[in-house]
Amino acid sequence: MRNGLSTFWDGRGFDLLLVGIPLAFLIAISGSALVYNVVMSFQEVGMFTLGSFVRPFAGLKNYAEVLSDPQTWPILGNTAIFVVGSLSGQFIVGFALALFFGLKFPGSTYLRGLFLVSWVMPGLVTGALWSWLLAGDFGVVNFFLRSLGIINENIFWRSDPAFALWSVVIANIWFGTSFNMILLSVGLASIPEDLYEAASLDGANVFQRFFTITLPMMRSTIGALLSLGLIFTLQQFDLFAALTDGGPNNASNVAQYWAWQLSFREYDFARGATVSVMMIIVVIAAALFYVRSTRHEVRG
Amino acid sequence: MTAQIEFVDVQKYYGTYHALKSINLTVEKGSFVALVGPSGCGKTTLLRSLAGLEKISGGEIRIVGERMNDVPPRKRDIAMVFQSYALYPHMTVEQNLTYSLRIRGMKKKEARKAAEDVAATTELSHLLKRYPRELSGGQRQRVAMSRAIIRDPKAFLFDEPLSNLDAALRVHMRKEIRTLHERLGATSVYVTHDQIEAMTMADRVVLMKEGRIEQQGAPLELYDRPINRFVAGFIGSPAMNFVPATVGADGQSLVLDLPGNQTLPYPGRLEPSRRVVAGLRPEHLVPASGTDALIRLPLRGAEATGATTFLFTESDPELAVVLNGRNTIKVGEELGLMIDPALIHLFDEKTGERL
Repeated sequence: MRNGLSTFWDGRGFDLLLVGIPLAFLIAISGSALVYNVVMSFQEVGMFTLGSFVRPFAGLKNYAEVLSDPQTWPILGNTAIFVVGSLSGQFIVGFALALFFGLKFPGSTYLRGLFLVSWVMPGLVTGALWSWLLAGDFGVVNFFLRSLGIINENIFWRSDPAFALWSVVIANIWFGTSFNMILLSVGLASIPEDLYEAASLDGANVFQRFFTITLPMMRSTIGALLSLGLIFTLQQFDLFAALTDGGPNNASNVAQYWAWQLSFREYDFARGATVSVMMIIVVIAAALFYVRSTRHEVRG
Repeated sequence: MTAQIEFVDVQKYYGTYHALKSINLTVEKGSFVALVGPSGCGKTTLLRSLAGLEKISGGEIRIVGERMNDVPPRKRDIAMVFQSYALYPHMTVEQNLTYSLRIRGMKKKEARKAAEDVAATTELSHLLKRYPRELSGGQRQRVAMSRAIIRDPKAFLFDEPLSNLDAALRVHMRKEIRTLHERLGATSVYVTHDQIEAMTMADRVVLMKEGRIEQQGAPLELYDRPINRFVAGFIGSPAMNFVPATVGADGQSLVLDLPGNQTLPYPGRLEPSRRVVAGLRPEHLVPASGTDALIRLPLRGAEATGATTFLFTESDPELAVVLNGRNTIKVGEELGLMIDPALIHLFDEKTGERL
């Protein structure tokens, strides 16, 4: 006798179940918080209304306030520098390493695996490591730069407004490079060897092969990687907490850290939510680009 | 005739594995040479060494008299058609064709004109804007060939280019490649494991085994006078029958190791009672009756293909016979066979060398 349950075994119902469980989980944990956050950005939220869902509607007042805040534009500018600096650093170093390990010298796979250590480490630990490396008085980075004659005086990376943001960028490049390297290695490995052979017989030198074969064949990998990287970079929080705390005087503050400060330090949840919503829009755009680039994979 | 490509005592080692053993080979300008042999015989390694994709461990490779050992592939002016075709998947057919020209700095307009000219001769004109993934196997094959032709290189190398095509298309492309070769007056080196391809397309067949050249020569030379058992068994389809035999007391007959005193006349002078192996091509064995029949064996089976019939005898070793026309003998009945003594090949029992 066939009953309702049998659809769970014949395939279709089981599919729905498999999709349904994570979907329900996502809606309950992430989706509702997201919606709540968006709703909050249109409300007046005070210390006394925190506990209730029903609060006075504020329209676009929170957005107007955030956009007219003198802190906003420098912080958004910092965010852009942080994103572009981190992404390009991670990508270029990661790509170089991926090409290097692609040479398949003895032990290359193990070495490549070891590089993943930086990705596995908790952000706070990485931040603590780099705060020692970048320390003004006794930091190793300063020692090397002085020994090489690049600088004469110590740089106070974390407390000098000119360098604070860059100290986080440097730590974040170290943090994300191995992730870039692994994804790019996978992309490189999927390019058939005979394409390079055909190209070299067609007269292409190493650089021409890189620009006419490697890069175009990696387009979808690179698109996916950059959009994932953008999302991860906009999520980066631990390094700021460990290294600079957004300071000095907001010199290294970025949108995601500021949103947290507004909500949980200043208890201005409305503005914190507003900054978050503005970031969500950027992240959704990146996510759409990610989905598009994984869909348009060029494979012969 | 001048030598376009020369291999002089070429050696190739992979670690301790000796992949090419003293290869000496000359390819004349304008000739079509087929490298043939079982898999692992080194034919592809030899081709890739010529292209510069493998570095040889010893000897010398010359193209038009110039030493090529340390010349990178891109400077050898050689075009190769890969087994996988190796078309650039992110480029249209036109971009695939013009790639080598554009790399050499030809203007876009000129390159496009060249692509259109080549495409017109290879029936690709209507496909120039397509991507390789939108083409059929045969079309991809033609793109790969056109990509080679457009450059007008010193030599064309083919690495089993037809092995991914279905049987009918393969026969068609065989002719097409040969026609193309003649029209361009090109020098071609063609690797295949299919002896029929080698025999039908090449001016010169080079048969390799375990990193060595076993025999080279015109296709029919290899068929008519194979220098050893390996060559004799590889060339010709269906394969030659090998029957151990003893030279008769008169030195002019062969007693085959088959049931019943089966004796073939042999017009040579051989040392009596010497042990040999007789090679009898299936197409040279002719049914005969009465006293004409030199060999009499029961028939085990027959496969009719229409034009020809394959017969198999009930014996050890089994004899295969190709019969023109149809078979009238029933399975289990006696099949009488004769052979022109001039068509019998004899090989040394131990070394397998031709006698």
